[in-house]
Amino acid sequence: MTDSDNPTVSFTDIEVTICHISRMIEEDKLYFVQMAGAPLMALLMGKRLYAPTVGYVVEEGAVCPDPEFPLPRMMLGSSGVHFRAVQWTSMLMVDSHAALGFMDYGLLAALQVDRFGNFNSTHIGGTFDKPERRFGGPGGANEIASQCWRTIIMTKLQKRKFVEKCNFVSSPGYLDGTPGARERAGLPPGTGPWRIVTAEAMFGFDNTTHEMRLDAVAPWTTVDDVLARMEFRPLIAGKMGVMQIPGEQELKMIRADIDPGGFSTGKGDWLTIDAVTGKKIG
Amino acid sequence: MTQAPTIVAAGKGEFRPPDPDGYREYVRDHKERRLISKLVSEHDAVSRFVSDGDYVAYDLNIAARGPGSLFREIIRQRKKDLWVMAKFTWTDVSLLISGGCVSKVDVGWMESGPILNRAIKDGSVKLIEWSNGALAYRLLAGSLGVPYLPMRYLGGTDTFEQSGAILTEDPYNHKPICIVPALNPDVALIHAHQADMYGNTRIFGAGVSPVEMAMASKKVIVSAEEIIDTIEIRKQPQRTTIPYYFVDAVVHAPFGSYPGSTQGLYGADLEQWLAFAAAGAMGKTDEYLENWVYSVGSHQEMLEKRVGEAKLKALRDADTLKEGYYD
Repeated sequence: MTDSDNPTVSFTDIEVTICHISRMIEEDKLYFVQMAGAPLMALLMGKRLYAPTVGYVVEEGAVCPDPEFPLPRMMLGSSGVHFRAVQWTSMLMVDSHAALGFMDYGLLAALQVDRFGNFNSTHIGGTFDKPERRFGGPGGANEIASQCWRTIIMTKLQKRKFVEKCNFVSSPGYLDGTPGARERAGLPPGTGPWRIVTAEAMFGFDNTTHEMRLDAVAPWTTVDDVLARMEFRPLIAGKMGVMQIPGEQELKMIRADIDPGGFSTGKGDWLTIDAVTGKKIG
Repeated sequence: MTQAPTIVAAGKGEFRPPDPDGYREYVRDHKERRLISKLVSEHDAVSRFVSDGDYVAYDLNIAARGPGSLFREIIRQRKKDLWVMAKFTWTDVSLLISGGCVSKVDVGWMESGPILNRAIKDGSVKLIEWSNGALAYRLLAGSLGVPYLPMRYLGGTDTFEQSGAILTEDPYNHKPICIVPALNPDVALIHAHQADMYGNTRIFGAGVSPVEMAMASKKVIVSAEEIIDTIEIRKQPQRTTIPYYFVDAVVHAPFGSYPGSTQGLYGADLEQWLAFAAAGAMGKTDEYLENWVYSVGSHQEMLEKRVGEAKLKALRDADTLKEGYYD
């Protein structure tokens, strides 16, 4: 149902976030991807479509695997996801690779993020001892966000996720944002969050103040809409970028090869847009 | 002239003070040096080597090459008050909590849900925060016989505040550096592809920190898919992951990781997790445990009577990737 004869395209917020991140994957770099799930799906799609020789490690010690599509439903630690690695080793080893500065990018997901890119994966609401809802914990995100040169974090654009203050800082962004804050906490210099990616908006960070900056919005939304869905007001880029619409090929790959059956990517919020104008329908 | 070390900040999380000298004495007095068979049943391994109140660590998790059969035996024997290391885990912690076995969890990552949330709310389980890497790193310190190690993360976060880490001054370059205390668990549970009767153990594929865990732990239980002759170990010594003298018990456990996968052998049983998740959501974990744990006397009996040969065959067929593991 559309005003024009333009084709439409439907996808979930998780699918489109995976598409956004997949386009950021660069050749000739090394990525550290946390556990299984959407970040690994995004990396593998980027590797397949745009950066075939990109290298990556996963926490459980597989170095630069080259898994075949379709990916297995249970990816965590499975032989399918570790297929054709250059080495099978341990978490201690790959964490050391990051400590040494080999990992250009960390790729993570977060429950909550603040203006300095500190993020939460531990609990929402309440206190640490009496949480409203407890989640899994930092996992490997703390070491990845501390030690990789640049960290890319995926999350959802919601007021309860872009917060003034995280309920719990599981993993570090720029801490209080002051110059040298990470170094004073013992973290390696020159590291920190680089991009926050959601379905509708992409953020970077100011080099000096370390504040989050809105860099790009999806064609089906506006800067005002984005700001209305955040608890804090980020810096606004001088020239606002426009994020791409997911292509048919990308969505087909997600549904057939990356997450067949849509067990995790299909569970997001569905959206239908005009494939030409990028405007929301309905 | 000596100076007190500069403590910039210290987390408030509970941990056992590292005691490398005490660990050496334990090794001197208790670890078996003789080449003797350590083959035992799950029942005997757990009743002999897991005590109420123990700190229990395990490699990987109930999704992949974790010690599933040993978890269920711990529940079957109604072990209590365990301090569990949840490093790169899955629903294993919830399973052990539903069996009433757990009082403390060192958190790296675990699948959360109603069982865990209920246990936090009623105060029966206390959580201490680390990260996957920090827990593995504490095992590394424990395996090196040193009291602590410096590392480049944790600092600055609430995770640090709820951990036992310390931010101090590097005595060499005077920059801030985070240190974490060595960890020497009471028990390590390690599921492996192959072992001989003495405990020489082969793990194929990637993992978290099985070697350091075996070295750092007072009591080491290895469950193995296959028991092989020692001559096979000696013919290919480079394939040995853990040599015998670290190991206290060897359990022959085909499908020992069930419902998780073991790389190169069988896939994971997703229906089993869905059943456990549904039981947790509906408050019916007692029924679940009755069916899968208490009403059967052993892992073997569970495989025969509850899982069944058709399902086992399907799981074997689901993992056809032998490359790198068995060729």
